[in-house]
This record gives sequence, structure tokens and C-alpha cells, in this order.
Amino acid sequence: MILLQSPSRFLLQILQDRVLSGDKGVDIDCHTVEFDDVRYHIQFSMRNPKVMVLSVALPLPPPEAMLYDGLPLGAIEAIKAAYGPVVQILDPPKDGFDLTMKINLTKLPPDEEQRNAVLTQIASVREVVLGAPLKLLLKHLASKTVAPNVDKLVALVHRPNESFFVAPQADKVTVVYPMRFQDSIDIVLATSFLQEFVEARRTSALNNAPSCLWSPVPPLELKGVPSDALNANAGFVTFVVFPRHVEGKKLDKTVWSLLTFHAYVSYHVKCSEGFMHTRMRRRVETLIQALDRAKSDAEKLKKLVNGGSFKRLSLNNDGN
Amino acid sequence: MDAASRPAVVIDNGTGYTKMGFAGNVEPCFITPTVVAVNDTFAGQTRANTTKGNWMAQHSAGVMADLDFFIGEDALARSRSSNTYNLSYPIHNGQVENWDTMERFWQQCIFNYLRCDPEDHYFLLTESPLTPPETREYTGEIMFETFNVPGLYIACQPVLALAAGYTTTKCEMTGVVVDVGDGATHIVPVADGYVIGSSIRSIPITGKDVTQFIQQLLKERGEHIPPEESFDVARRVKEMYCYTCSDIVKEFNKHDREPNKYIKHWSGIKPKTGAKYTCDIGYERFLGPEIFFHPEIYNNDFTTPLHVVIDKCIQSSPIDTRRALYKNIVLSGGSTMFKDFHRRLQRDLKKIVDARVLASNARLGGDAKAQPIEVNVVSHPIQRYAVWFGGSVLASTAEFYEACHTKAEYEEYGASICRTNPVFKGMY
Repeated sequence: MILLQSPSRFLLQILQDRVLSGDKGVDIDCHTVEFDDVRYHIQFSMRNPKVMVLSVALPLPPPEAMLYDGLPLGAIEAIKAAYGPVVQILDPPKDGFDLTMKINLTKLPPDEEQRNAVLTQIASVREVVLGAPLKLLLKHLASKTVAPNVDKLVALVHRPNESFFVAPQADKVTVVYPMRFQDSIDIVLATSFLQEFVEARRTSALNNAPSCLWSPVPPLELKGVPSDALNANAGFVTFVVFPRHVEGKKLDKTVWSLLTFHAYVSYHVKCSEGFMHTRMRRRVETLIQALDRAKSDAEKLKKLVNGGSFKRLSLNNDGN
Repeated sequence: MDAASRPAVVIDNGTGYTKMGFAGNVEPCFITPTVVAVNDTFAGQTRANTTKGNWMAQHSAGVMADLDFFIGEDALARSRSSNTYNLSYPIHNGQVENWDTMERFWQQCIFNYLRCDPEDHYFLLTESPLTPPETREYTGEIMFETFNVPGLYIACQPVLALAAGYTTTKCEMTGVVVDVGDGATHIVPVADGYVIGSSIRSIPITGKDVTQFIQQLLKERGEHIPPEESFDVARRVKEMYCYTCSDIVKEFNKHDREPNKYIKHWSGIKPKTGAKYTCDIGYERFLGPEIFFHPEIYNNDFTTPLHVVIDKCIQSSPIDTRRALYKNIVLSGGSTMFKDFHRRLQRDLKKIVDARVLASNARLGGDAKAQPIEVNVVSHPIQRYAVWFGGSVLASTAEFYEACHTKAEYEEYGASICRTNPVFKGMY
């Protein structure tokens, strides 16, 4: 579980339960939130137990990001291409959401394996919608062209009010992330994590991975970007993606990894904190053991004779 | 958009199952077993090396094992298929025992199951009424230090279970919560939302004991169940077939008269050989839940039936609350899900109360007559996750955000802010 998975576990679970449960209809109306403020609203009604209405709200876009009608560029086409007849887009979307889809579960393929593939695809709606513009750019990279009518530097939404930058060229695509963290400890951990990350890329086992750079100041690619979009407190990470990274099936994986890079780093920062706590606990345990060993036998005996080792606290001296 | 405008995350960690989801929903998103499968091969090396002071080896071993673990159903599947993973149950009898695995469990719950950023949401966690303040402090420390949550509220499970009934019918925050979980059984009187701490009773018979009893019955009858599976089969039998009967003798007769109607069959596949096996499920269907009402059939150490304990608990509460407490006895926890459990409890409790009223009337002669006492055992359809649902209701109100301990408070005062729980006013 080093990488975050693309399909949402909860959506997948609900869909699979519903497909397996037969025609029993139960009302479901629930809201969930994912990292980076992606919100889902899932509805099933009694009358149509096989029709799910799924509304998705996307993170609030920063002013510099590229959008098309409220949705990322090419999202509608991507949805149609990914789901085909199973999904119908409702226009206008529900109040407070950016996209509402009607998913007809009776139109799923009868074969179990194919059906599960489609369900997983529906559960990864986040990747399909938010990743659409990135996928478009990377697809052109795979055929070694630049997408027409695209600027030299494209800003894409990736967290609420934050964007990352993509500079597409015919032979490579440069992706730059300004990294921001809220907590002071997180900033330190993330900075050293990213430096290690760049270091790890240099080992021979990862020779084919996209090359990766970290710098405390904005790299040259970001010239001309408004300064509000560049106030990163944990430096800038740059990936250079070559056509070999987006061949065939690798494309989806690359899109997802690039799209959730910030979540990935923040997940690992939290994991390292947890790991450090584990080590601290273990260390305290060994120190206490050492202290216990150092006690003389007489002292241990005394404790036994006197009974417990509680120190009685008086009311006006309760330690707080 | 600040954290208070997003729904809070509600996680109810039980001994057996963890219920987690977002506030405002009716059902938790996930109900998974509270278990972590840890790869201990690295940790073992670490221990062996400590004396030599070989910190580099220790370090890399620790890093390797850092993310090599699974939780919930995945953990159970992993441990079955390979020997490298050891199962660790972080919670024992309602108390967190292993903080390392508990922290990892939360980590996975947040990042891999709910997939939310803990910095974006307020959190509501639950604890059993007997949790010591140190544990609460520790929980707060992990939540604020590791996960950087903006706000945390640690709620008391029985109060939440009462709050679960709050929306459906009436605004009643006085009642006795009978919480029978997998690892702990508590009877907690609550008056106007405050726990009457001195009257909390807990009994050593839990859901796990029902499972063990069924396992024992199956074994004694000589059913052919592979030993490594027997606990699991017993658990499934408990969850699927058990019910509460009104009279054991009648029930035995019923089973003997019409075995076809009452005896169920269980079939499974032996994990080692892949051969099929079947076994019969007979009397254990009603004998399992019966240990709450006749504990002497299970063990000799504890022989007070559940309804007697509830009665004693109410009798030890302040006298002006007793009538209200008898009127609202709320069930919560997975092990109260047996069919007709609430009817049986109500009938048995009513018997005790009526006998007492009659005795007092007889003692007083005809001078004064006691008003009859209403005994009411409430059961809801959501009993299994009543605590979670109560948390979801509570966390979706605006007051919740004010009652939370915030990150700023934590940084100002330290973990001791989590020490006291407001519902135990004046206890600590």
C-alpha cells in the first residue's frame, strides 16, 4: 500500500453490493469526501434500484487553471469514452456539484470479469474527470506531437485553490509541483522526504523512471506565472516525462500518479510520523527496562512489602 | 473552505469491528474487523540487533517493515494465505493495548479506506466508559501529532448510543445503555446526557464468549470442523443462526419434535486439503445467547444474569432518575442483534420489578400503593452500529465544532486537554 489506489473503495463497494444484491431496493443517500476536496453524493431510490445518481464536486480551481465550462478540459469526452452506454450525464448538475451522472446498472456487461472492470472504472471517476486534460497532453506525447491550441505552460487544478504546471513539448512533458504544507513539522519532513525521493531516483534500479528534480526556488519553466501561484513552502518538484512512460497501458498509471502526487507525499509524511512514534515508543520501553535492571534488589523488595507504588495526590496538588 | 464546513469523520473502534464513515450519513462507509496483519520478520531482526548497537541495520529493517501491513478483511486474508504476517488485535476488551498497531490501523482507515486528508476534517472518536484518562491523552497525542487533525472529540460510547435514538422518536437523553460488544459488556446509566459513573456495571460475558461457547458445544458434540477454522465457523453460526428463546425447556422439546425445521446445516471447505465438510447446528442456536440470561451454563465464576445486573445498576443510581432509567433501556452493540433479545430482556426485567412493587405494596398494607413502574427495552434496526450512528448525528450539529478540542488548544496546553470528558462531570 505504498501508492494510493485509483478507484474509490467506498464507491466500488456500494456498486458491487448493489449489483450482487439482485432487485432488492433500499434507499441510499450519502455524501463522502476524498482528499483534495473531491466530494461525492451517491443516491439510489426505491423505484429504480438499478440506477445510481452520482454527483461529483471538484476542488475549487485557482484563477490560473485551465477550465472548460466548469469542468476540466475534455472531461465530458473522457467520461463518454470510458463508460459508454452505462453512464448518462445530467445537465445541469445538482446544486453544489460540478458533475452529475446517471449510472444504469442494468446495462453492465453480463460477464463477471468485464463487469468488475467497468465498476472499477466508475469508481475511479476522479481519475477520469480530473485527469482528462493531463491525459490529453500525455497522449500527444505518446505520438510525439504537441496538442494543438495549447499554451506553452498549462496550469491544472490538483488541490483546492492550488494548481500544478505542465509544459508540453513534442519529445517530453515537464510537470512542476509547488509543494505546500500547513504544519511546520510537515514542511520539514516533506522537504527531506522530497530530497530523499530525488536521491532514490539516482539508484540504478530506477534508471527508467521519469527524471525528478527538487529545488527550493521556482524552476525556469515557471517564468511568467503569477507569484501567488508560486508561494510554495516545501520547494518545487519537477518531473520530466518521456514518451516511453506513457506507452499503452502505462498512460493511465502515469496520469493517476501525477495527479495525486501531493496526496502521495502527504500520505507518506504522515506514515513517517507514525513510524517515528513507533520507534520512540520502542526506545522508551528499552530505557525503562534498563532503569528497572539498574534497581537494587533491596529496592524491589521494599516495594513489594509496602504494597502498591501509588503516590497519593492531594487536591490542591493534582499535577496539572 | 475550512475544516468545519466539511463533514466530520466518525470512527468507532470496537474490539471486534471498527465502524467508520462521515458525519451526516445514515450508515458507516465501512465496517471492518479491527485487526492488523504485521510483517514481523523485520521487527524480530531489530530486536536481536539492539544489543550490538547496529543502528543502521535496525534503521533499514524498520523502514522496510514500515508500510508492510494490512488491516481489516485484507489482513485476515493475508494471514490465511502466508506465514509471514502475524495478526495483531490492537483493542482488547474495549481498551487499546497496542498503540503501534492502533496508529497504523488509523492510518490505513484514513488514507486507504475513507481516503480523506486528516487535516481537512474534524474527527469524532469513541471510547468505552471505563477508559482511563491516560488512554484518552494518548489518543489525542496520536491524532494531533501524527495526523494533524484540526479538531478532535472523544465521545463516550453509551452516550452516543442514546443519541442514536434521539432523532427517531423523542429527545430522551436519560436511559440505561446495555452495550454488548465483542470484547466488552457495559451497562451504563445516563441521566440528561451525563454518565452516572459510580453505577456503571460491566460483566465478563461478551460476544466473544458466545462464540467460544458455541465452539465448545460444536466440539463436544463431535462435529467435524477443522480446528483452525472452528472459531471462525462458530462466529459465523452465531451471526447467522442464533436467536433468543423464551424458555429453554420448551425450546429443547421443539427441537426434538421437529428436527428438520430447527436444525440447520453448515458446509465449508477445509483450508488445508480443500475437502468439503458439513456439520449440523442444533441447540447452540438458542443456547449461545442464553449465556447472558443463565451464565452458569457457560462458566462457574460469574453467575449473575444480565437482567439482574441491569436491575442492580438502576437500583444504585440516584433515586429520582430510576423511573426514567427503567423506561428507556437502550441496546447497542453487535451482540444484542439476536432475534427477540429485547423481548426476553424486557420480560425478565419486568418480572423482578413487578415482584419488588408487589412486595412493597404488601409491606405497606393498603395505606399507600406504589405506581406501577414502566419497563421498556428499546431496540432499533441500526443497533449494530448505533454508537456510530449517534456519533454521526452528533457530529453533524453545529455545536459539535464548538465542543471539539482544537489543534490550537493542543499546541497551547498539550495532550492534557483530552484528559477530561465533559459527560463525566466532576469525576476526575
